[in-house]
Amino acid sequence: MTYIAGQVLPPFVVTRVDPEAMKEWAVFLEDPNPIHIDVAAVRAKGLGDRVINQGPINVAYMMNALLRAFPGSRIKSMSTRFLDNVYGEEKVIATPRIDAVAAGHITCSISLESAERGLVCSADAVMITSP
Amino acid sequence: MSTADDLPPPVAVAGLSLDGHRLYTITAAQNAELCRSTGGEPAVDGSAHPVYYYVATQVAMGMTVAGLCAACDFDVNDGPMMGTSEVQFAASLMTDVPYRVSGEVLSLERKRSRKLGVMDVLTYRLRLHGLDGDCVLTTDNVWILPRKNLA
Repeated sequence: MTYIAGQVLPPFVVTRVDPEAMKEWAVFLEDPNPIHIDVAAVRAKGLGDRVINQGPINVAYMMNALLRAFPGSRIKSMSTRFLDNVYGEEKVIATPRIDAVAAGHITCSISLESAERGLVCSADAVMITSP
Repeated sequence: MSTADDLPPPVAVAGLSLDGHRLYTITAAQNAELCRSTGGEPAVDGSAHPVYYYVATQVAMGMTVAGLCAACDFDVNDGPMMGTSEVQFAASLMTDVPYRVSGEVLSLERKRSRKLGVMDVLTYRLRLHGLDGDCVLTTDNVWILPRKNLA
């Protein structure tokens, strides 16, 4: 496949952010923060009516978009900005865009958008496309 | 965002060691669970999902999240927020390989923001090493610690 600067790559779509996955991540991260697993705790803190996705899961969605867009490649570097929460049950879309192409490397920007609320995370990444 | 020179300074934690005290191994089984929880499938070549850069370093650093917050004189129940996270990989992360973590707090700065009021901005660096000592990745994370009592 040919890649060119400015190219928008296929999005990685999460049709429903699963609250059960947040419970798994509380174990993976060894971090039992209740805002990720208990709606009552979220309400008590005035943060809304839905559990809040752990930030690294949002990074993983964007990484998935990159790895699917560039089969056989790996991530060399990535810088993520957390702009808003992602909530349980909502739909989010990670979309990579190519910023520059060089020998063996592709630089991308990635957006993660909530279908309801717009941009929630953004990132820049460099992919290694050849050994 | 601006500095908060009129407020008491945050605690001095720059340089605090976050070196880990235990090894961390990404099991193939947990990697598969994690991949599927994000809508993906595990790689067939034994490499782990790259988001383990965050998971492994947080779990195996020398302090818990609550402990790191406490070192910054912040109650974890007051809601630390992720600001940014950067990672540089020197190699792919692999399943069933033990790693250890080194790291340190880089800075804790008190700032004032229109949206969040007074907050402390914590920056820390963690590295993941193989048992041969080679550094597999370096990550810098920035957390926002809201200081509602200083607003």
